[in-house]
Amino acid sequence: MSNLLSVENLTMKFGGLTAIDDLSFDAKNNQITSIIGPNGAGKTTVFNCLTGFYKPTNGQMFLHKEDSKISLRKYTDFKIAYVAKVARTFQNIRLFPAMSVLENLLVAQHNELMVASGYSLFGLLNLKSYRDKEQLAVDKAKYWLDIIGLTHRADDNAGDLPYGDQRKLEIVRAMCIEPRLLCLDEPAAGLNPKESAELNKLLKFIKTEKQTGILLIEHDMSVVMGISDHVVVLNYGKKIFEGTADQTKNSKEVIEAYLGVDE
Amino acid sequence: MEKKDIIQSFKDSLFTGLIALALFGPIVGLRTASKGEGLFITTQWGLVFLLVGLCILGRFLINLNSARKTEITFFSKLTSKFSAITEDKAKHFAITAILFAAVFPFLPFTDRYFMDVAIMILTYIMLGWGLNIVVGLAGLLDLGYVAFYAVGAYSYALIATTFGWSFWICLPLAGLFAAFFGILLGFPVLRLRGDYLAIVTLGFGEIIRIILINWYEVTNGPDGITGIPRPSFFGLPFKRSPDEGETSFHLFFNLEYSTMHRIIFLYYLILVLALITNYFTLKIRKLPVGRAWEALREDEIACKSLGVNPTNTKLTAFAIGAMFGGFAGSFFATRQAFISPESFTFIESAIIVAIVVLGGMGSQTGVVLASIFLIGITEMFRDLEQYRMIAFGGAMVLIMVFKPKGILANRKPTILMHGDKK
Repeated sequence: MSNLLSVENLTMKFGGLTAIDDLSFDAKNNQITSIIGPNGAGKTTVFNCLTGFYKPTNGQMFLHKEDSKISLRKYTDFKIAYVAKVARTFQNIRLFPAMSVLENLLVAQHNELMVASGYSLFGLLNLKSYRDKEQLAVDKAKYWLDIIGLTHRADDNAGDLPYGDQRKLEIVRAMCIEPRLLCLDEPAAGLNPKESAELNKLLKFIKTEKQTGILLIEHDMSVVMGISDHVVVLNYGKKIFEGTADQTKNSKEVIEAYLGVDE
Repeated sequence: MEKKDIIQSFKDSLFTGLIALALFGPIVGLRTASKGEGLFITTQWGLVFLLVGLCILGRFLINLNSARKTEITFFSKLTSKFSAITEDKAKHFAITAILFAAVFPFLPFTDRYFMDVAIMILTYIMLGWGLNIVVGLAGLLDLGYVAFYAVGAYSYALIATTFGWSFWICLPLAGLFAAFFGILLGFPVLRLRGDYLAIVTLGFGEIIRIILINWYEVTNGPDGITGIPRPSFFGLPFKRSPDEGETSFHLFFNLEYSTMHRIIFLYYLILVLALITNYFTLKIRKLPVGRAWEALREDEIACKSLGVNPTNTKLTAFAIGAMFGGFAGSFFATRQAFISPESFTFIESAIIVAIVVLGGMGSQTGVVLASIFLIGITEMFRDLEQYRMIAFGGAMVLIMVFKPKGILANRKPTILMHGDKK
């Protein structure tokens, strides 16, 4: 399996605090790579570096395309999603609560629709070419809503959905930009066991059916151990372990980091 | 309703009375009067007690009402019924309103005064709709919207008086100038949100006004610009005695000369301009850029994570909102034939923002209702002179008490998957 993302010697300092210290790891296509670690280990900071919210102090991040690679450092802000096609979700859900579920999914397809609407000109003239493109976007939204079983609520406000559905909606919204890498920040936080199981199913579906690699930050070990192909363990900004889920479960360093060491 | 509640709300109203006393005591109670060779303080405690009493009573009634937990007051019943009707039959309501507006000049009771008020209300409706793009859709609180109104008015006035071009050429130019200023304002405030944005835009409004006052060579300073050409009816001026080789409106149509012709024409002009604004807003709301505006209002970070360019999105909102402000400004200039910086003070911005907020952010119909309510009420109380600002403030308080989210606060999705269920 080919590499999708390689992080090389990533370091992020905030003043005197080193949040990430010389971190290197790879993530592969069609695999779920989990980043775990105790609170404050620097997991979300890694995400913020990858998705252009922070500029790393040092180090490189490459996204591999067929035979070329692009450096994520070059892109900041919205360009990470627009050009590099790296999508993310947030620890605290960030939907557009007062907009309908369908609208949420259409905003994710903003850039294609913007071109299709001739930067609003064709749209204002109500040309057929735009209407067709809009219909395609709605169909794509429907495809994803069918998968998470929310089609019947497509016209309701996203903020009115139950918590678990909001989580799923945020993930499929990110999928609507057709990302090559999907970064999920604690998608199972606050979900009940049934919802967690559904989430696992959704992530497995994305992994196998879509050409997308998934990077996952998670505390819920039932999710991590159930679906991860590869686990990276961080503590105090350093990588302390890397391996498969089973290896991680039995690793002495990991257990120490989580539970402390016997004196 | 329990006795405890009554006692509680009575206590609360007494406390309100205390605050009212502290406020009205010095403000109303003590007056300076000049007698002979000096200033003396006179007191008017009677009025103070009357006002305090009114406050206590009003507060008590509001408390009683909310304690019953049902909306029984006439006002809230009326408004909820009204919003229900306007939402259910939005289309019918809009058509009726437009038809009424179209025949309004020819109704029997319509006189010059009514027309002037109607033109003013329509100007504010247009401004409200323009600002609704920026505040209601994109969620960028702009307290300096009057700046674009001023830019539109001045560019129209300067172009028209300097080059003598017709209204229909100057209007788009003025709109473009205003849009350009919208982008000019947009750039420095891209990173700002909420209160900070409000303060900067407020400053921008003042900067424009102060430039207009001080740039004497171009704007003629506080004296303003006079002799701005009136609009013509597709080349036919509204003049009693046209110049050599010109035909005026009343001669062409073989009518008795009347100043009302021009007023009626102006009325239809602003009506059409306002309707264009509305149509444009309703259309663009359903386009990707409109959805991006609303998404930006909801969550900017999420927008970035989805690849929406916040810079372009905000700038288009500022530019388009400013453009409509500019159109309204040109209309204002051609209607008044005279403009000066005095017409573009902060209070104008405040009124427009109030119209948008009280109408219910993002609601087009809400803007209409709020304009009629606020401008209409201040006009109705014009005879009371200084008290009409009290009526204005009172209207705002009433709306905020009974409809804290604005008169019409419901948002309809821009696109439906399952069609309209009703």
